[in-house]
Amino acid sequence: MKDPEKYAVGLVAMGRIPEIALNIVSAHISGYLNLPSRCLPMLALPPECFDKKRFQYDAAKLIQYLERQAFADCIKIIALAEGDLFLPIFTHVLGEAQQGGTHAVISLSRLQSTENGLKSPDSKFYERIAKVALHELGHLFNLFHCRDTRCLMHFSGTIETLDAISLNYCSYCQRFLEDAHQRMGIVKEHF
Amino acid sequence: MTDKMRIMVVDDEMIVRESFYHWFNKYGHDVDTAASGKEALEKLEKRPFDLLFVDIKMPGMDGLELLDHVKSLYPETEVVIITAYGSIDSAVKAMKSGASDYLLKPFKPDHINLVMEKINQQKALKTEYQYLKNQIGEMTRFDDIIGQSPAMTRVFEMIPEVAESDTTVLLTGETGTGKELVAKAIHAKSSRANYPFIAINCGAMTESLLESELFGHSKGAFTGANKNRKGFLEVVSGGTLFLDEVGEISLKMQVDMLRVLEEKTIKRIGSNQSIDVDFRLICATSRNLEELIRAGTFREDFYYRINVIEIRIPPLRERKADVPLLVRHFLAKYSRETTKHVDHIDGAAEKLLKAYDWPGNVRELENAIERAVVLSKARTLTGRDFSFLKTAPPKEINDRSLLDLEKRHIRNVLDECGWNVSQAARILDINRSTLHKKINKYGLRK
Repeated sequence: MKDPEKYAVGLVAMGRIPEIALNIVSAHISGYLNLPSRCLPMLALPPECFDKKRFQYDAAKLIQYLERQAFADCIKIIALAEGDLFLPIFTHVLGEAQQGGTHAVISLSRLQSTENGLKSPDSKFYERIAKVALHELGHLFNLFHCRDTRCLMHFSGTIETLDAISLNYCSYCQRFLEDAHQRMGIVKEHF
Repeated sequence: MTDKMRIMVVDDEMIVRESFYHWFNKYGHDVDTAASGKEALEKLEKRPFDLLFVDIKMPGMDGLELLDHVKSLYPETEVVIITAYGSIDSAVKAMKSGASDYLLKPFKPDHINLVMEKINQQKALKTEYQYLKNQIGEMTRFDDIIGQSPAMTRVFEMIPEVAESDTTVLLTGETGTGKELVAKAIHAKSSRANYPFIAINCGAMTESLLESELFGHSKGAFTGANKNRKGFLEVVSGGTLFLDEVGEISLKMQVDMLRVLEEKTIKRIGSNQSIDVDFRLICATSRNLEELIRAGTFREDFYYRINVIEIRIPPLRERKADVPLLVRHFLAKYSRETTKHVDHIDGAAEKLLKAYDWPGNVRELENAIERAVVLSKARTLTGRDFSFLKTAPPKEINDRSLLDLEKRHIRNVLDECGWNVSQAARILDINRSTLHKKINKYGLRK
């Protein structure tokens, strides 16, 4: 790689995020997108993004907050948030990203439990973190939601649907991802 | 999830508009937003939208008012109402006013996907319905009635005019001229097009069978009637009934049919219960009904009831200009159907077919082409392939004067051109006024 850091994806912990979660996301970005990642300084969850009525964090406001931070050179930024996220029209979201933009946030809050409130095994928890992070990163590279129910870019609003998709982009999304990389000048021979 | 759509989100709250905007962007939809009903209508005027998400509570024009406007101005646009918990009554009102669905905010992300799936299915059904409707239109348009002669052009002009009304139509013409095709075309162009078209050949049925077929019967009405059966007059409900060879039906049946046409009710054979019926009647005959009236075998009142509009289908010998066109059509049809590559006809054969009188009209011509194609061993049909056509022996010419010959020739050319004087004058190589003078001189009539 000529200048690997030029294409690094920045990872930010917001709140109490286990280090292993950041490592898992980093490893998957490297394995699936062939991109380096860099852990950025941890941030506290900003109280102004907290909705006292809903006891949740407004994902759109968190992204605006991330935009205001002066992160070192990174092509994309993914924040891993401790708190539960919502959008004004939705009860909750597992993650949110700017379509074709730079910033995304994912919540770990719902990823360790099952729909009926039981605790899932750690391996499942880590797999879910990787899935949501790669999904939102796909949006940052301007990938749309995919019709293929097994594809990582297929929308999943619940843990059950998240578990149903595979930890892979479908061949079409993989191709679109490569196209996006090419447009950004991230060519394979760089790595 | 769904096909790409043009979506507009109408909500006075910016965060709601933005949430929707970003969400639909993730599916690649073409998304726009409006902060008020007025702005939404202005945008709708500029370009079409497939789907609107409309907040029910907005200052100025509220969601329900906007829904009414959209449904009356752009009925093809689907509207989903967004409402808050506690305003279910308004949501119900919206559904009654034509909204496709409603969302109670905040909703689970999966819920919006279900709504989108439903809208997509509705749109797919509408598209499929429109496609099938067009297909029916394609299948039943005038394609099967071939002709560009003035005589047929007049028939083509009458079909849509007649189709618009709901009156009875009498199609007259010799056998094989295509009366049923014209009846089908009238049905296809009418408001009854999506209902059945039932054709009955009255000449092929006995009186009792025709009565049973038309009126149906109740169980036990006669030997063998072991269950209730609907007649065509019931089955055709909403559609068009085509009675071919109506001149063949009995006087009793004429009375029965007259009563049905006047009262719009029937009684099944063996039943006293009246049943409402709704159909359009098209009759056809190859016989001269006025002669039948004079002979006392056809009722005058029934004749006037079925003959509100008469369309005369000309025999092929009166529109010989259409023969080459029909030949090409049937040649292509049978070449395709028989998978034999017989797709040409030489000049001599065409001349022969044009000269022939075709007493069996288009049907006879079609049969002749089919037979020639099946038996031909070459790609091009020649005069020899039509040697089976019985050419009439040359008529005895009693009037041997030049004037009689001229009179006969002018009549033949006029018949061939469907009495288009300009066209006939061109063929005869005389000017129109000369031809008019000769028509008057010889007392020629159409």
